[in-house]
Parts: sequence; structure tokens; C-alpha cells
Amino acid sequence: MIARACLALAVGLAGLAACGDSGGTGETITVYSTVTADTVEAVVDGFEAANPGTTVEVFRAPTGEVTARIAAELRDGDLGADVLWLTDPLSMQQYAADGLLVEWEPAEGDAVPAAFRTTTFFGTRILNMVIVHGDGSEPAPADWDDLAAGVPGGVAIPDPGFAGSAFGALAFFALSPDYGIAYYQALADGGAVQVRSPGDVVTGVAEDQYGAGVTLDRSARSAIADGSPLEMVWPASGAVAIYSPIAVVEGGAEGTARDFVEYVLGVEAQQAIAATGWQPVRSDVEWPFGGSQVTLDWTEAFDRQDELLDAYREIFGG
Amino acid sequence: MVALGGLVAVPIVELARVGVEEWQGGGGLDRAVSGAALFNTMWTGAAVAVLAVAAGTGAAFVTERMAVPGRRWLRLGIVVPIVVPGFVSALSWARAYGPGGLTDDLVGWELPGVFGAPGVVAVVAVNAMPIAYVIAAAALRSRAEPDLERAARAAGAGRRVAAATVTLPLLAPALLGAAALTFIVGINAFGVPAILGTPAGFGTVTTRIYQDLARSASPAAFSRAVLLALLLVAIALAFVAIADRMLAGLGSLTRTAAPAGPQAVARRSGIAAAIAVWLTVGAVTVVPLVALILVALTRGVGLAPVPSNWTLGNFAEALDGPLLGALGRSLLLAAAAATAAVALGALVAALQRRRAGRLYAAAVLLTFAVPGSTLAVAVLLAYGGRLRDTLTIILIAYVAKLWGVGHRTVAGSAAGLPPDLYRAARAAGASAWTAVRTVVAPQVRPALVAGWLLVFLFALHELTMSSLLHGPGTGTLAVEILDLQQLGDVPVSAALATLLTVPPLVLGVAVVILAGGRLLGGAR
Repeated sequence: MIARACLALAVGLAGLAACGDSGGTGETITVYSTVTADTVEAVVDGFEAANPGTTVEVFRAPTGEVTARIAAELRDGDLGADVLWLTDPLSMQQYAADGLLVEWEPAEGDAVPAAFRTTTFFGTRILNMVIVHGDGSEPAPADWDDLAAGVPGGVAIPDPGFAGSAFGALAFFALSPDYGIAYYQALADGGAVQVRSPGDVVTGVAEDQYGAGVTLDRSARSAIADGSPLEMVWPASGAVAIYSPIAVVEGGAEGTARDFVEYVLGVEAQQAIAATGWQPVRSDVEWPFGGSQVTLDWTEAFDRQDELLDAYREIFGG
Repeated sequence: MVALGGLVAVPIVELARVGVEEWQGGGGLDRAVSGAALFNTMWTGAAVAVLAVAAGTGAAFVTERMAVPGRRWLRLGIVVPIVVPGFVSALSWARAYGPGGLTDDLVGWELPGVFGAPGVVAVVAVNAMPIAYVIAAAALRSRAEPDLERAARAAGAGRRVAAATVTLPLLAPALLGAAALTFIVGINAFGVPAILGTPAGFGTVTTRIYQDLARSASPAAFSRAVLLALLLVAIALAFVAIADRMLAGLGSLTRTAAPAGPQAVARRSGIAAAIAVWLTVGAVTVVPLVALILVALTRGVGLAPVPSNWTLGNFAEALDGPLLGALGRSLLLAAAAATAAVALGALVAALQRRRAGRLYAAAVLLTFAVPGSTLAVAVLLAYGGRLRDTLTIILIAYVAKLWGVGHRTVAGSAAGLPPDLYRAARAAGASAWTAVRTVVAPQVRPALVAGWLLVFLFALHELTMSSLLHGPGTGTLAVEILDLQQLGDVPVSAALATLLTVPPLVLGVAVVILAGGRLLGGAR
């Protein structure tokens, strides 16, 4: 009886596994991505419609899972991805340095601002770190320095150990001569609290648990659109802009992979990205929001990541 | 043996090989371990084990040894937390008892320390408690000796003395097994400390591992994550070794015969105790779930959860995906994993009667102690080449992870089974298989069923490993649901969490109604 049940299960599993293999008749590429599901889906659907017979398979998971899988596959000798589309440039730096990524020039690569591309990976959308505060908090914080000066109710910041965008903010402030790691010390002295992610910042501020916080523009806008009692402030000295890079993996289905990357950098996909709430990387694609931005040197941030995180943990723990 | 090698040894050895090969000296490990993370992990695990076993055993005495009304429903209420994934519990406790949460809104009261060490320990203990309860209850049914208890009572021992001198020692093997499992659950918890610990700067080894894996493009971070995972294994092994040593110190308590006669003794009215258990269940399970559902029903975060702000939009968004296929795959995987883990667990429990069997028993807990994210990496290292993107590799990970749960549940009840009955059956001409089927199996049946259900429920909402190992067309329910989760959109996450939690609950209610007490208990 048990043996029969096992047999049935095994057969069922084999059948399901077989289903997973069915693909189109044309070429198939695999994309590993940490980008939000609706954004990836919209872009992939557009690409497949424009290239009949081509299939794009997507492995999408949070950053920790995707990088861990890549790390395991590299040690296993066989990276399954033809394209990597990640949330921030930190890991891409290493993959590029390891020679995993193809060096090339996409057709419309010049449309991507120089600060948001390298010779191997290219920005696709921009995540902006901005300020949120509760409805009617007076005076509302207007710039980064106002947060460090202290806000009634306290300030919530996302943990750079968990969120790549928060690491971008940490690297920007810590490496900037105007702020330095002292900026985080000032935040902590003013009673700032770290939470796991930019989304948790929005929740905490909306629930009136904190007076203000640092988060992503998209999270703030989407909560405000749902009616949450929040206001978003574009910092006077500029939002910290983090770009979400895409790259072609060496030794995979390079031709189709390049086609895909060029499609993502094209106007049609950029509009699809904008439609899912993210700022498109191309300035010639309409985007009704925004303001001044500051950027950071990802190469230096990458080289000093352990040191930066250690300094941060000295202050906030975790 | 083969299964042990394939499921436990190969992945762990691969992991250790890679970890050691790539360890770049240079203070890689001591940098990661330094600070409070290791200390936090150790004492969290110990506190969780103590709380969970105490609460679980207490609850088991109430449901199995007292005359309580609505016993089946009480049992169900106690095991409910097992169907709630850790990150969901954390989210719902924060919404129920945290600042700006349900009780804060209603009566202006918040539980101090929800965000911080007390909250982490409490929520992980609540999630681990059903394991202890199920094991203790199964052991009370299959191991404890009503006749010995009666004898003690007849000899003048009070109820408490009888429990302390007769029942508890008989339960000791099962309780130590429960302590080992819950300790490992405690040191392995990730979702809860990530959500509730971070605001207090309360880091653990698991949150460090995840953060290092997230930056594992850097070889230093990767080898740190691997070595930290191996460190967790070492801690778990040490704890289990201590537990097993204590068990050996108890002397051998071998039963003389199968329990005879009506099981429950001293069937005193347990109304007061039942009310206490119900109130606890309400506080630790019902209130947080209600808070979660209210968030899921509310338009945006920070709005009052009143009908004018209600919407089903979050659920519509949550359900907008290929969930049916994923549900089928999840059910299939969970059933397969549960069957395999219990069968293999029973096998190890049988082997345990020999000296070398102890080794197997410790070995199957190794993979349970590896955090999900790292175990998935280990399985990929071992089998990624051939099995990548198949359901089989996910199944391997599930069984490797949950074998220990199956084993400890069964072993707690099987230890000390009287060998005489089995020998008698063999002597009377029964084959080994027939003897096991007709003599041994009926006695450990409650434990087999309990173990199967535990593993099934664990596997059903497993997220980390599936999320790392799935491929096109092999996403499980939790993965598809996570995939739909918008960046930090809490109401939608709450709706998803509700959807992950409520179906197994409905399943549980259905089982109670259809099968009555028979499944977990035997006729009453």
C-alpha cells in the first residue's frame, strides 16, 4: 500500500518534471532576475511578441536566493543563465571582474546615461531613495540633514545588510565627503531605527510607528496611491539614484541574449518598465515624477563593502 | 545507508569542501562570528526549546489526560501555528501587538519587546510548540503506561507525584527528541529575527548567513555563509549529543507489554485547564491571524481597519497567477516528502536499536540544522548538474531537511517498544515484514501519522529552498505567491500570507470533522 503510493508519487513527479521541459520551437534563453515580477513579465511578454518563436524562461527570486544560486552554479561549473537582470550593481561588479559577462555595445546603449552603465552591464531602471513622513508632521523634513537633526517620532531606515538599495544609500553617504559614516552616527544618536526593507519603512511610518523614514520612491508612491497617510519628500540635495543593471552572460545563447538586452534598453520596454511604476533609465521616455539625483561610485562601494557594513553594524547592530 | 549518504552526507560534504577550499583565512570566520550574533543564536535556541517543550507537554497533558470538552478542536487549535510560516507569524504579531497594531488601536496596549529579543523568542517558540505538542501527545498515547500510573496512584502517590515519577520519565525520550528539534528550529529561525529582530539590532547567525549569501558574488562572503552554516550544524550536533547523553543516563526504560485497557487515567475534569489552553491559543494564534486578515482586507497601510477601508483587491492581486498548478505541485511534493521522511525516519528509528544506529540518528539531524538557504546551495552543489530545475531536486532538499522531523517523531514513540511481542510474532512464524506490520506498526501508528502531518505541513509552505531551487514550471505555491509579492506592499503580502495559511487550516478542520479523533488518537 505504501509502496504503491510511493510509486504513484514518483510517476507523478516524473510527469510534472517533464512538463517543465516543454518549450517553444525557436531559441530559448534563461534570465535570472531579482526585479519585481510584474516588471519582468511585462518586458518578457513584449519581447516574445516581437520575436515569435523565441522563448524567455525566467528564474525570479529575491536577491539572496538568486546570488546564492549563481554562487552554487558557478562552483558546479555551469551557470544556467544567459542574461542577468539584477536590482543593484553590487554583485554585477564581481561577475564582471570574474569575466562572466560579455563586453559589448548594445545598439541604443548611448541612450543610457553614462553614470548608469559600464562596458558589460547597463542600467534598465532607476530606484530612488527618498524621504517619507507621516501625514501632517510639522515641520516636514526637506532634506537628508533634517533627518540627522532628528524628527519627532524617530526615523526609520532600511537595513543595508538585507536591502541592496539600502546598501546603495549607505555607500553614498559613507563615501561622500559631505556626509561620511558620521551621518549614520547622527541618525542613530537622533533615535533612528533600522527595519528590514524599504517596504517596512513605509509600513512603519504609515502606522505612525516612526515620524519619517528613508525608502524607495516606488514603495512610497504605491502606498500613497492606496490611501496610506503618508507624504513623500524628494530630498532638496537629491535622491540617491541606484540603477538596476542587465548583462549578457559569457558562453550562453549570446545572440538571443543580446537581442533581449537591446529590447530592454529600447523605448518599448522602457515604457513597459515605467508603466509598472519604476523610473525608466532612458531620459527620452516619459516619466512624470522625479527631481534631482545623486549617484555613487559602485566600484569603490564594491571594494569596500565589508568595511562599510562593519562600520554600519557598529552603529546599528544586527 | 544509501539514502543517508545521498541526502545528508553528499550535500554536507560538498558544502564543507567548498567552504574550506575557499576560506581565505584573513579573519573570514571570526569577523562573521564576532559580536552578539552567535550568542543571540545560542540563547534564542535554548529559550525556544524550553518554552516550546514546556508549553507543548502541558498542552498534551490537558488534551490526552484530562476530560475536556471539544478535545478534537482543542488539539487542532494547539497545532495551528505549525501551518503558519515564520515570516507570517512575525508579520502578524507585529500587526497584532506592536506599536500601531490591533491591541494598540483598540485598547491602547502594546506588548513591550515585540520588536527585539523577547518578541523573537516568543514567536519562534509559538511556531515550534506544535512540534513538541505532537511528539508529547503521541508519546503519551503510545508510550506512557496507564497501568504504571494506576499502580502509583493506588500506592498512594498524588497526581503530581505520579506524573513526575512515572509519566514524565517514560516520556523523557520523546521530550528530549522534541527539545532537540525545537532547539534546532530556534537556531534556524530566519524570518522571525529578520522582521522582529532587525529594529532592535538583534542579529543572529541565520540573518548573517542570509546577508552574506545576498552578497555571495564576493567569494569571501560566500565562504563565510557556508562556514556559518556549518557552525550551526556543529552547535546542533553538540546540543543533540548532550540530549542523547542525558537519555542514556536515564537508563533503559523498556516496556514490558503493549498498553492495555482504557488509556486515560485520572480522568478528572479539565475545564479550567482547557479554558487556559484556549485562552493561550487565542492570544498566540487567533489574535495575530485576525490582525493579519484585517491588514489583508485594508486598502493601504496605516488606514484604520474599518469596513469603509476594506477591499478584496489585495486578494485579487495575490491570486492573479498560475496558482492552481503550483498548488498541485506543492501538495504532491509535500505528500512525497512526508511519506519519504517518515519511512526513512522509521527506518533509522529501527536501526537505532543497534549501537551504530545512534550515529544515523544524529546524522539525520545534520541537514535539519543547516538553514534552508544554505542547504539549497549544498543540494545544488551536489546535484545541480543533472537535476537542476526539476521537482526531484526540490524533493531531495525537502526530504534532507525534514527527515529529522520524521525520525524524531517516530523514534520518540518507538524507543522502548517491547521487543518481546515482535520476537513472539517471529517465533510464531511471521515474516519480519508481517511482524513489523502487525505488531510494531499499530503501536507507533499515532507517531507515524503525526510525523507525516508535521512534515507535510512544513513542506507545504516551505519557501526559502523552493525559491532557490525552482525552475520554469516547477514553482511551488509559496514561490508563486512570493513572486507576486510586490516590493514591500504589506497589504498584498498579508493577503498572500493569509492565502498560505488558511487553506491548510481548512484542511485541518476538514480532517477533524471527517476523521474525528482517529487520526491522531485512536478511538475515543
